[in-house]
Amino acid sequence: MRIKLSSIHVDDQDKALAFYTEVLGFQKKHDLPVGGGFRWLTLVAPDGHDDVELVLEPNANPAARAYQDALLEQGIPITAFEVDDVAAEHERLRQRGVVFTKPPTAAGPVTIAIFADTCGNLIQIYQPPG
Amino acid sequence: MVTPTRLAAVCRARDRLRELGPSAPSVRALATDAGLTTTGFIRIFAAVLGETPHQYRIRSRLEHAKRLLAEGELSVTEICFSLGFSSLGSFSHQFGQRVGVSPSAYRRRLRRQLGTPGVPPRALTPGCLELMAVALGGPGTSPG
Repeated sequence: MRIKLSSIHVDDQDKALAFYTEVLGFQKKHDLPVGGGFRWLTLVAPDGHDDVELVLEPNANPAARAYQDALLEQGIPITAFEVDDVAAEHERLRQRGVVFTKPPTAAGPVTIAIFADTCGNLIQIYQPPG
Repeated sequence: MVTPTRLAAVCRARDRLRELGPSAPSVRALATDAGLTTTGFIRIFAAVLGETPHQYRIRSRLEHAKRLLAEGELSVTEICFSLGFSSLGSFSHQFGQRVGVSPSAYRRRLRRQLGTPGVPPRALTPGCLELMAVALGGPGTSPG
């Protein structure tokens, strides 16, 4: 078995595609209609392996939306991406209008920051030690 | 930076913007509840959720409209007014702008796709892997 997919729910697939590609620098991989106005929408990250895809799922399922809402209200990020330099990434994203709920902060051996992805989620970025 | 208090205020406002019907709260009232000026509230809401409170409310209503159109029991006019749109014209216009087709055309297209009138909403809430199978064209599947 291999892990090739990581998925997050988004409140609007168009809005999510714009934010993740234009602001975060992900590249679109698949964008295929599947009926009901939904798409199978996947991206690959700007750095790292290009065969691991991030799936941007619609949150039409009430269970998905309830989960997403609860995490946002509690300030809990839905996923985390590794970066080389969290301070630089924080500054770059801030310049692009991204709003953070936590600035670069030491958390044990890593440094983390948390921002809103404009699609109903908080995303954590972390810089590994060393 | 968005503090936990401000984030909670944005989430509370969002819950209220999901309310349907004509007596839903105004953006100004939501700003007051959040302890912010209207401009400040709109700015922070848009920074967190990627659209203004007004845009969020419209999108929320239109998504509800899509579910009601799929269920097939209410007429387009009944759906329009139950969701708090001021007129059939404004509902059709906003729906068409964001969805790409009129409400009636959307309903007809769904029926063709799903083959069953009054299809329950569950059929429109696909799970991740079902979507992938349909998109990537497995046997016995049909893309939208």
